[in-house]
Amino acid sequence: MDLRPYFDELERFADGQMAPAEQDAFELRLEQDEALADAHAAFEQFTADLRWAAGHDTLRLRLQALDDRMNERGSALARAEQLSQRRQRLSTLLGALGVVLLLAAGAVAWYLLRPSAARPAHNWEAYYQPDPGPAVTTGLLHSRPLLSEALDQYQSGHYPAALHSLGRVSPTNVGADTLTYLRGLMLLRQGQGNAAQLYLRRVADDGDAGELARRARYHLGMAYWQAKELAPALATLRDVATDSLNPYRASARRAVAAGVLD
Amino acid sequence: MSAPLAETLTQLRIGNQKFLVDFYQRSRHLFARWAQRQHRLNAAQAHTLLQDTLLDFYDQVADGRLTILPVDLRDYIYGMAQQRLAAQVPANVPLPAAEASRRQRLLAQFNQLGNDCQQVLTYFYFRGYNFEKMGGKMGFPNATVARRQKTTCLRKLYELLR
Repeated sequence: MDLRPYFDELERFADGQMAPAEQDAFELRLEQDEALADAHAAFEQFTADLRWAAGHDTLRLRLQALDDRMNERGSALARAEQLSQRRQRLSTLLGALGVVLLLAAGAVAWYLLRPSAARPAHNWEAYYQPDPGPAVTTGLLHSRPLLSEALDQYQSGHYPAALHSLGRVSPTNVGADTLTYLRGLMLLRQGQGNAAQLYLRRVADDGDAGELARRARYHLGMAYWQAKELAPALATLRDVATDSLNPYRASARRAVAAGVLD
Repeated sequence: MSAPLAETLTQLRIGNQKFLVDFYQRSRHLFARWAQRQHRLNAAQAHTLLQDTLLDFYDQVADGRLTILPVDLRDYIYGMAQQRLAAQVPANVPLPAAEASRRQRLLAQFNQLGNDCQQVLTYFYFRGYNFEKMGGKMGFPNATVARRQKTTCLRKLYELLR
């Protein structure tokens, strides 16, 4: 049915836009005019369908909007989770890197500080072959008790006490060269390289071909080295290294060959 | 669902759709898991299915086909979703029902209208706003302009239907 001829009246009636008298007249016409009544019924169905369509569409749009919001929220949460995992992975990686660097630094430090054959030691003690002096026997103890005491203290590492005891030994009983040599040894071991040089040089220069002089020459070289006098130390140790009769030849050659005194 | 069941249906009929919107928000995740397990649908397909099912449910209430709210609404909605899948109804299309053809035609034409017209007719016929309130919402200068605008949109829709 075509509603267009009635549309304006029907709409104003349905919307309550008619004046009371006009409305009463329209209601009377509805009862009498069958075509108008049919048009009214059709208009009512049209607006009812429109009400449904508007509601249906509104619900559809609301559900879609809610769906979009929930999807966005889900994506944002997933992104945040991903970001958090990435940060966690990064911090783990950095931690592992830190540990590796620490280990590498430790390894480098160990390599640089380790004693190595490839990197010769610069310290005189690394090449020094000590002379323990004569063994303290029962016979020596009875015949020369003060010397025995001094030797015992020297061999035990008590150098100041040993020097003190040695000072009480008479040169007539032991021999001046031996006493001088022993004093030089003790001073060297005590760390007084300069003082030791005086005594050891005296013995080394005194008996040129003697066994004690050979020994004294080696310890004199070490006393120079200890006093940081590298040139005389090298010269003295070279002499020792070339002296086939010197008992410290091997040690002197090792020190010279290391090249640390050049 | 704190409101009594009968009141829920009445509210739906007079346009309060909050009940269904809340249901969608609460159930979307669980429904998607169920649809994935039972029917191998991905999440987006499941969400569309639930939206269409809730629109069918709304139509049933609005048409008066459903006069009593089901005791277990969740079971009822899931059952409707299964019927949709069994009948192979395409997405965004309602289930066949009485008067569906006429109403669907009107809905299609309604969606052809401009946004302003859709909004005006929705405010008046679905929300029940008077001309003054509608004019305020739409930014019209007064109620008379709102009434004229509504008349124009209603005639436009009628002409599209013919």
